[in-house]
Amino acid sequence: MLGGYTLLLIPGFPFIAFVLIAALLLRRGERVAPFVLIAALLGSLSLSIFSLALTEGQKSFSTALTWLQVGSVTLEVGVLIDGLSCIMMIVVCTVSLLVQIYSIGYMKGETGYGRYFAYMSLFSGAMLGLVIADNIAQTYIFWELVGICSYLLIGFWYRRPSAAAAAKKAFVVTRFGDLGFLTAILILSFQHHGLLGPHSVFGFRQLEHLVSSGAIATGAATVIALLLFSGAVGKSAQFPLHIWLPDAMEGPTPVSALIHAATMVAAGVYLVARTYFIFAAAPAALFVVAIIGMTTLFLAATMGVAENDIKRVLAYSTISQLGYMMLALGVGGYAAGVFHLTTHAFFKALLFLTAGSVIHAVHTNDMWQMGGLIRRMPITALTCLVGALALAGIFPLSGFWSKDAVLSAIWSSHLPGHQVMFVFALIGVALTAFYMFRLWFVTFAGRPRTEAAAHAHESPLVMTAPLLLLALLAAVAGGLEFRVPLTAGGIAEVVHSGTGPETASALVIAASFLLAMAGIGVAWAAYREQHISPGAFNARFPGVYHLLKNAWYLNRAWELFASRVVIAGSRLAAWFDRHIVNGMVDGVAWLAGWTANRLRTAQTGQMQFYALVFICAIIAGLIVVFGRDQTLLALVMRRP
Amino acid sequence: MTAALGQYLQSGSFWYVLAFVCCAAGALIPGLLVVTSRNILHSALWLLPCLASVAGLFLLLGAELLAAIQILVYCGGIVVLVLFAVMLTHGLGHADVRVVNQQLLWGFIGAAGLAGIVLHMLSRQMWPVGSSLAPGDVTGRLAEALLSPYVLAFEVSSIVLLVAMVGAIVIARAEPE
Amino acid sequence: MTSAPFIPIQSYLVVSVLLFAIGLVGVFTRRNAIAVLLGIELMLNAANINFVAFWRYSGGAQMEGQVFTVVIITVAAAEAAIALAIILNVYRRFRTVNVDQINLMKG
Repeated sequence: MLGGYTLLLIPGFPFIAFVLIAALLLRRGERVAPFVLIAALLGSLSLSIFSLALTEGQKSFSTALTWLQVGSVTLEVGVLIDGLSCIMMIVVCTVSLLVQIYSIGYMKGETGYGRYFAYMSLFSGAMLGLVIADNIAQTYIFWELVGICSYLLIGFWYRRPSAAAAAKKAFVVTRFGDLGFLTAILILSFQHHGLLGPHSVFGFRQLEHLVSSGAIATGAATVIALLLFSGAVGKSAQFPLHIWLPDAMEGPTPVSALIHAATMVAAGVYLVARTYFIFAAAPAALFVVAIIGMTTLFLAATMGVAENDIKRVLAYSTISQLGYMMLALGVGGYAAGVFHLTTHAFFKALLFLTAGSVIHAVHTNDMWQMGGLIRRMPITALTCLVGALALAGIFPLSGFWSKDAVLSAIWSSHLPGHQVMFVFALIGVALTAFYMFRLWFVTFAGRPRTEAAAHAHESPLVMTAPLLLLALLAAVAGGLEFRVPLTAGGIAEVVHSGTGPETASALVIAASFLLAMAGIGVAWAAYREQHISPGAFNARFPGVYHLLKNAWYLNRAWELFASRVVIAGSRLAAWFDRHIVNGMVDGVAWLAGWTANRLRTAQTGQMQFYALVFICAIIAGLIVVFGRDQTLLALVMRRP
Repeated sequence: MTAALGQYLQSGSFWYVLAFVCCAAGALIPGLLVVTSRNILHSALWLLPCLASVAGLFLLLGAELLAAIQILVYCGGIVVLVLFAVMLTHGLGHADVRVVNQQLLWGFIGAAGLAGIVLHMLSRQMWPVGSSLAPGDVTGRLAEALLSPYVLAFEVSSIVLLVAMVGAIVIARAEPE
Repeated sequence: MTSAPFIPIQSYLVVSVLLFAIGLVGVFTRRNAIAVLLGIELMLNAANINFVAFWRYSGGAQMEGQVFTVVIITVAAAEAAIALAIILNVYRRFRTVNVDQINLMKG
């Protein structure tokens, strides 16, 4: 059996690739860069598949190296291989691999080609390190690292002011969440340190023992869970920290596909899944998770309806689907949530890459400048259709199975108010289908609206091959729910603990299918056949139109918050610092001066005065000695 | 009464007591005059009988060599040195200038306080009665003590003297123009 | 020759204390630096009387008392020389030997 340390190569290969690419960049060997990364990812993928075989479904194991020991705190670097981490690893490796191949074509000729792949390899390594982490501190470290990579990649074209601003916004907004995450780790460490002996309390298995043994009170568990969830809210762009994701579309499209659709934004969902035992001990926190998930999925779906930029539609779609995953986790559908995460990774990455293909051909993001592309770019159009159908949840594609798993979990959960959540989820299904097909029809169907659209041509093989592979995965990934030869059980068993996906009741399946078809139907009617006019609708409901167009004014709300509340807080802090903190320091100095001035009067410069003081001190000493202790004096006199 | 007086005079104790009283008075009264004379030269000169009386006290205590050293060094050396300094610093003029400083009262109180406390302490103690036997060959034993167990102190004191001499020369040297 | 046991040790000690106090008064109250030095000399002599008295009245066999007295006299001589040299220097610099006028260390 391989030493567990070998599995550290899973994130290790991409990190090594990063160093190599950085070295190559220095020697102007840019063209080799993507192949280095692809080789590394192939290595990681094979090790991941190997480790999946090792687990045989239920078994999990972990190894760790002590990395840093400070006093009684030990930080470890380790590997935890169980169903959840295997699934995540394989998803990350696969999608990353396909995206890198695609990028060879997409980024061809760009300045910074090598830099792109360097950042991509750093990201891949960090993401893998995050998902195989066996302790929460390691997770946090890689969490921050992927945040940095996201910043670097969103702002890849850093000379563009909007890109730089978007990168900054992403980083700052997720920081709000990261603060909660860190606080949760600190609380866990300080409050429960020592309960598990001299080693760190950060390991997931140890934490699970801790929680199951009842050592953490419900109140404390709720606080910790909510703080962890706040980190997830930031990273997975849940309401109210979702505002960064649409702006993150400033980065290159493959970046959006990999980071902001398939992997990094899934890290939040992964975190909740990984620490689910804490949430299980705090039902109130689970309720909050579900509520936030529900709110997010609804709001984002409504915002996606009003966007005209292809990537932004897909961004809102991602936010909405992440909301579904959170909602699933919140109502107790652990396996359903993780299943949806997996299928979503495939079809969302596919959708983004097709969008990139279109953008690359037509040189614009605006869907209203496209049209009729199905004739010019058939492979792209068809793979996009597959992805759209998967997203809408149409049988027999993967999205159907995972979305129904989620809906069933909501329907059959015991959470109070789950019926309301179910209704909203269903509405979301309809909206999802609607906006996705709105996009598809406007982009690919009908007649070309501009010259560029008329003269677009299909993308080269290096870009279309990953599209085809992802379309295949998006289609068949539903099979993960059932027994697959590679694993001993379907994902239901691979991802252990919590409720498995209930066999969906026929009612739920029927309802979601009907609503999806309804959504597609409306989109077809409005945008393909022009039976319904969106313009008329907007004119009749201007309030709704403006609300959606401006993303429920949430950006404005945050802006106000930052400029009023945060700045006010800053002013208060500045005042405090200037007058109280500085005041104390100055006060100490003033006190020293004042005391010195008082004491200075003793320094008369007169030697005889000093001698007098000296004698007075001696007299005082004599009085004390003689008055108090006769025996001392007797000792001095040495009386027999 | 006369017989008792005569008997007292016959024993040696009377002479000893007389000698002691003379030396003590000779130390204390000139000492007082040293610190209270307006004229600095007079102060220096009153030191002479004071120190000589102290030498007398040493004799009464049986420390002959010490008495000799006292006369030689203190009376012969230090007083002369002080007189030189007095001459060189023109301290004699201005008879109406104040001789005492501001802390006359407190200085007196301090000194009196110290004296009072120490005397009080002394009065409370039981003191050993000295033996009447003369310690034999004091000088010889002092010399032996200085050259055997305390030879280091002896040598170091000579070095101190050397250093003091050089130092005094350096400090008191006239500024090179 | 010995004055013991006719004169108790307390007598010598009292003389010593009084001489010390007199010297102390001289140190505290005189303005002329040389007068202060004279007071110091009186104090030293008082200490010497103390030492020799105790030497005598503790048997006279152990010579430490006298040895110490010799050392004190030696050091007093050295100190007097240095002190007077300093006074000369000060006189040249300040044109006065009144210690209360030499207060550059004030404050």
